[in-house]
Amino acid sequence: MMQKKICMLGGFAVGKTSLVRRFVSNMFSDHYQTTIGVTVEKKNVTVDNRDVMLMLWDLYGDDEFQRVRDSYLRGSSGYILVMDGTRKVTLDTALALQQTAARTVGAVPFVSIINKADVRSEWEITECAIEQLRERGWPVLFGSAKLGQGVEELFVTLATRMGNPSPRSTDRS
Amino acid sequence: MSSDPHRSRPDSPPSEGLTSFDEDWTQLRTLLLAPEQTQLDELRERLDNRSVHPREVSLVLPEAFAVRGEKDQQLSNVLTPYVEDGFAAAVRKSPRAIVDAIAPIMRPAIRQAITRVLRSMMQSFNQSLNESLSVRGLRWRVEAWHTGKPFAEVVLLHTLRYRVEQVFLIHRETGLLLHHVTVDAAVVQDQHVISGMLTAIQSFVRDSFGASQDQTLDHFQVGDWTVWIEEGSHAYLAGVIRGAPPATLREDFHAALHDIHAQHVDALVNFDGDAAPFKATQSHLEGCLQAHHESSWPAGTSKVWMLVGLILTASVWLGWIAYQAHARWSELVTKLRAEPGIVVTVVRSAWENYYVKGLWYPLAKDPSGMVIDAGLDPSTVTAVWSPYYALDSQLIATRAQSILQPPNTVKLTLEGETLVATGFASSEWVREMRRLAVFVPGISRYRADGLVTPSDLIERINRAEVRFSSGSSTVEASQRAALGTVAALLRDLDQSVSQSGQWVMLEVLGSADETGSESTNIQLSKARADAVLAILEGERFGQSTTITTGIAPGVKQRALKGESAGQRIASLRATLVPSTRGTEISRP
Repeated sequence: MMQKKICMLGGFAVGKTSLVRRFVSNMFSDHYQTTIGVTVEKKNVTVDNRDVMLMLWDLYGDDEFQRVRDSYLRGSSGYILVMDGTRKVTLDTALALQQTAARTVGAVPFVSIINKADVRSEWEITECAIEQLRERGWPVLFGSAKLGQGVEELFVTLATRMGNPSPRSTDRS
Repeated sequence: MSSDPHRSRPDSPPSEGLTSFDEDWTQLRTLLLAPEQTQLDELRERLDNRSVHPREVSLVLPEAFAVRGEKDQQLSNVLTPYVEDGFAAAVRKSPRAIVDAIAPIMRPAIRQAITRVLRSMMQSFNQSLNESLSVRGLRWRVEAWHTGKPFAEVVLLHTLRYRVEQVFLIHRETGLLLHHVTVDAAVVQDQHVISGMLTAIQSFVRDSFGASQDQTLDHFQVGDWTVWIEEGSHAYLAGVIRGAPPATLREDFHAALHDIHAQHVDALVNFDGDAAPFKATQSHLEGCLQAHHESSWPAGTSKVWMLVGLILTASVWLGWIAYQAHARWSELVTKLRAEPGIVVTVVRSAWENYYVKGLWYPLAKDPSGMVIDAGLDPSTVTAVWSPYYALDSQLIATRAQSILQPPNTVKLTLEGETLVATGFASSEWVREMRRLAVFVPGISRYRADGLVTPSDLIERINRAEVRFSSGSSTVEASQRAALGTVAALLRDLDQSVSQSGQWVMLEVLGSADETGSESTNIQLSKARADAVLAILEGERFGQSTTITTGIAPGVKQRALKGESAGQRIASLRATLVPSTRGTEISRP
C-alpha cells in the first residue's frame, strides 16, 4: 500500500485537529501537539481503486508564540491549508504558510479549506477574497468540522491530486 | 528552364501535337520521378488509413511505456487491474509454475521464520524449566497467577538482560515506515504512527538544540525500554529494547543499516511511498531482534537433557514392560494352541488388554490356570470358551479314566484305539471295565491281560512255602527271598482289596516231619510259624491285611505215621474275608 505524508497547516484554532479528529476514527492523542508541536495520525483511503495510507501530520497552529517547524514539513507529498471563515487573519496566515510550504517541499499538491461553514453568516472572509485565492490556483473547499461537512471530501481530494498531480493544484504565484 | 515540366506545360500552345507532347511528358515524368511517386503513394495511404499496425507499435512500445511511466502513474493505474486478473488466472491455471517461481524466495523466509519460532520456544521452555522448582520460580508463579500472564513470559521478563522487541526501518525524510519486525511477545501499537512520531521527535530535538541535520537523537529511555536510533543517509533504524543492551548491539544495528543502504539504494533514493520493495529487508531487521538472559544455556540445557533422559528411561521401561507382557501373552497363546482339548480361534491384544476365544474340552487343562501360570494378570485377559468333544489320544485316556474310575493299582494306557489296563484290580472292577471300555468315545477295543485280580494273587501266595532244616525254626537266608516275594504279593493284594471292603487274612501254618515226639513237633511247628510271622511283620502292609499263625492240621498224624522230611515247612494260606469279620480276627 502506498503511504503519503500530509501536513495540516493553518493558523491558531482554525480547526485542524477537529478536522483530523473527524476523519480519523481512533486518534492517538493530541497532547503531543502542545508538547512538540505535532501529532501524527493515520487514515486509509481508496482513490481510483487504489488504497492509500495517509499519514497526517497535524501541526500546531501558527501564531505569534509558535512558528511551524520547517523540519516537520519535509518529505510531505501534499498539505492542507485550513482557514477559519470567521477570522480573516487566518487567510493571511494560510498565505504565509503556503509560501513556507512551497519553499520547503516544493510544488506538491495542496488543498485549502475554509472551516466553520456552519456559521457562514459570521464569516469575515469575503467571496472576493475567496475568488482571489482561486485565481492564485488554490483549490478552495468549504467545510465544518463541527458538523462533519466536507471533511472526507477534503482528504480524498488531496489524495486524488497526489495520485494525479496537475499544475492547478500548485500555487502559481 | 524549358526542362521544368510544370512551368513549360502552361506555355505550350494548344495544337494537334499536344497529345503526343503530353504522352512524352508523362513518359519523361515517369522515368524521372517513379521512386518518389511510389513513396508519395505509400505516405498518402498511411495518412488515409488510420489503423495501427502491430509491427510498428511493437517497435516503439517499450520506449512508450518508459516515457509514460516517468511522467505519471496513469499507465500503472491502467495496467494494474489487467495484471492482477492475469496473475490470478495464471495461478488458477498453473499454480505449480507460480510455486516454482516464488519458491527460491519463500523457502529461506519460511525456514528463517520457523527457526526463529523454534529458538524462541526452546529458550522459553528452558527458562521455565530452569526456574520451575526454585524459590524465586515459585514466587514468579504466584506473580503469573496474579497478573494472568503465562509463567514462561514472567520467567523471561525477570531473567532478561535485554531483548530487542521491535525494529523499525523508517524513511528519514518523510518519516514513513519502510518495514517493521517484532518479537511475538511484544505489545505493538500502530507502527506507522510510531514511525511518524519518532521522526517528529527527532526533528523537534534537533531544532530545539540547533543541531545540524547530521546530528541526531541517539537514544532515549522510557521505563524498562530503551529506544536506540541508528541513522543512515536515507533511512534510519529504531530499535525498541527492553533491559540493558550491550554496546556490541549497536554495531549490529549499524551493519544491518549499512547493508540495507547498500542493497536498496535505488529504492531509498526514489522512495515515493511504496514500501513493498523493503519487505526484502526482513532478514536484516530480524538479525537485530536479539535477546540475552541471565541463566546460562548449559545449565538449562543439562536440565533439558535430564528431562529428556528421564523421558527416555521411562519410555524404555514402559516398552520393556510392554514387551515382556506381550512375550508372555505370545507364549500363552502358543501353549494354548498346543494343548490338547483347546482350540484357539480368535486372538487379539491391545495395550495391557488381551482377548482369546475358542473351544475347550472340559476334561482338558483349565485355560484360566494356564493364564496364571503364564504370569499374566487374569483381569487383563478376556477368554470366551465354548465346550466341545475332543478326540485327542491323551484326552481319550483321560476320558476312560474318568468313566472307568480304575483303582490306584490300575494303569490305563492307549495303544491306537485299544485301551490297555495293567496292574491290580478287584474282579468286580475288571468285570465292569470289560463291560464299559468299548463305550468310551475313541476306544474300540480293550486288553486286560496285564491285570491281576485278588484270586490270582491269593493263588500265588498260597503256593509259597518256607523250608526249615531238621529240628530248626530259623528261616534261612535262601528262604527269606521267597518270603520277600510273598510280602510283595501281599501288598498288591492289600491294595487291590482295600477299596472293595474286604480283608486279607493270611495264616502262617507251621509243620514238622515225623522225627521226634508229638509235643516237640507241635512246638517246633509253632516256632516255625512264628519265625515266618516275625519276618513278615517286618514288612509294611496296608491296614487291610491281618496275619495269623497256626499249626498245619496234619502234624500229629504225620508224627504218628512217621512221614518224610519234606514236611519241615511253614505254609501260607491267604483268604479274603468281609471286613466285619476282619475285626474279630486275632492272633492265637
